[in-house]
Amino acid sequence: MSERAAGSIYDLGYRRYEGRRLGRRDAVRSLYVHGLRAAFGLGRRTRSKIFPFMLAIVAAIPALGYLMAAAFIDIDISDVIRAEDYFSSTFFFPPAALMLFVAAVAPELLGRDQRHATLSLYFARALSRREYAAARYAAMATALLALTLGPQALLFIGNALVVDSFGGYFKDEWRQIGPIIGSSILISLFFAAIGMPIAAQSSRRAFATIGVIAPFLFFPTISVILVATLDNFAGRLGVFLNPFFVIDGFTYWFFDAVPDVGEGHPLLEADFAGGWYFFFALAVTVIGIGLLLRHYSRRSL
Amino acid sequence: MPLIETHALTKQYPGVLALDALDINVEPGVIGLVGANGAGKSTLIKILLGLLPATRGAARVLDLDVAAEGRNIRERVGYMPEHDCLPPDLSATEFVAHLAEVSGLPRPAARERTAETLRHVGLFEERYREMGGYSTGMKQRVKLAQALVHDPRLIFLDEPTNGLDPAGREEMLDLVRRTGREFGIAVLMSSHLLGEIERVCDWLVVIDGGRLVRSGAVAEFTAGLGSLEVEVEGDAARLAEALTARGFEARGEGALAHVALNGAEPYDAIRDCIVDLGLGLVRLEQRRQSLEDIFRTGEPEAAARV
Repeated sequence: MSERAAGSIYDLGYRRYEGRRLGRRDAVRSLYVHGLRAAFGLGRRTRSKIFPFMLAIVAAIPALGYLMAAAFIDIDISDVIRAEDYFSSTFFFPPAALMLFVAAVAPELLGRDQRHATLSLYFARALSRREYAAARYAAMATALLALTLGPQALLFIGNALVVDSFGGYFKDEWRQIGPIIGSSILISLFFAAIGMPIAAQSSRRAFATIGVIAPFLFFPTISVILVATLDNFAGRLGVFLNPFFVIDGFTYWFFDAVPDVGEGHPLLEADFAGGWYFFFALAVTVIGIGLLLRHYSRRSL
Repeated sequence: MPLIETHALTKQYPGVLALDALDINVEPGVIGLVGANGAGKSTLIKILLGLLPATRGAARVLDLDVAAEGRNIRERVGYMPEHDCLPPDLSATEFVAHLAEVSGLPRPAARERTAETLRHVGLFEERYREMGGYSTGMKQRVKLAQALVHDPRLIFLDEPTNGLDPAGREEMLDLVRRTGREFGIAVLMSSHLLGEIERVCDWLVVIDGGRLVRSGAVAEFTAGLGSLEVEVEGDAARLAEALTARGFEARGEGALAHVALNGAEPYDAIRDCIVDLGLGLVRLEQRRQSLEDIFRTGEPEAAARV
């Protein structure tokens, strides 16, 4: 008996799998979860974790700094940082971290599979190319939520704890929750839709990263010049070339707030109603996702 | 039910005709797909997997249409590509388990099957190490394991012995043979080495330049295709002539004559001819015909277009 047992441990042989098989939705979900973990380097070497986690902290610097100050200084400084200003250029760190995060993670999510030719193993399974691309996009957008919704949640809860009455703050400010969540989600979807189709173009991480950063640096410059020099409608349209202005535009619209930007800021110069930024971001998101799906369904192996 | 069926399957790349009106019909078993590099083996496998669209023609795998039911096919098959496809910073366990989940196995089952399959292909403690440090042999084992982990009904192995040393080649071929024979999983294995196919496969599909050269049971190729090697003292060409005159298939050069067996019984005729011609018989040997010989000596054109 023991001999047989030992023998069977040595070679169990091949066994058929008679168990349950899940559908494609579960397959796509497992790819999505895997991508989300990969975005933060979970299950990978420590080296892969450093950059994403560092950027997540950088995005939260204003919120963290504010909360620390509030904890040590016993004065009422609630609402020093308004939620609607968080991703504007006022605080610098959050929007910069968002851009760098997309530039670092999008090539990681897409380029790895191309670089190591793992893509053919995915496509040889019961998973369509579009589902692959959609799962990867969803992972990128969800990962971005940690940098958008994360600091906002920190700020909101921090504010509630700093003031004397937690319930009171909540009662006064609960209307902010909708715009906070709405703008965070749209910022994440919008940035992911810009970064992912670009990152899909190259399997080389360096090229992909530069490619993703380029429009974030290049277009804002043009945007400022256009708005400042052309004193007509075309010049005003230039404001849409700057992804950071666009997220400012729709975020203020979500909060129904007046942009807290300096005099002569392109956002004020262009003077579009906030809704335009919202629809523009939505359109870019849809087009970006479309391009990504198209790229993968046409890609040759 | 045929395992794989193609009708006038054609793949036209810009400037290159990779598959030219290919008609194949094979039954379940271990199938060898042989051809020189660039013969269209990988292209055929990719079309059968639904990874590439065919330019013209139709193909069915497991009685499912490649163009319309690609997803259903891919659910039931495994694929081991020719190229490297393993991310170096993951362990074999993580990677194979992830792919098992993408294949639709629930997480606990994926973990369990991964451990079993990796052990089955001969990967033990090293399966927890990052794959970047693996030898070619270990990488090939992981590639085979990921093709088997979801227990497919058919696996496509594209050049599974590529880059392996003789011992590793031997072990891989043994694994392929056992997969086909003992586990009842149909195998389509491509190789440019006939010797490998001969030892592992029971059906052979030979393609060249995208065209079917021959398709048949391996036994058919070798049986009845043996030849006798006759060494004589004297001119073997004369012996060959005399035998040809008597209706046998024979070639002679120098002191050696080859007489095709093909189910014929040339022994008495050989003896008589040698006596008639006054040649001395040195040696009479039945040569074990291997596939290599068929394609080396046989005129490929004669065998073409079966």
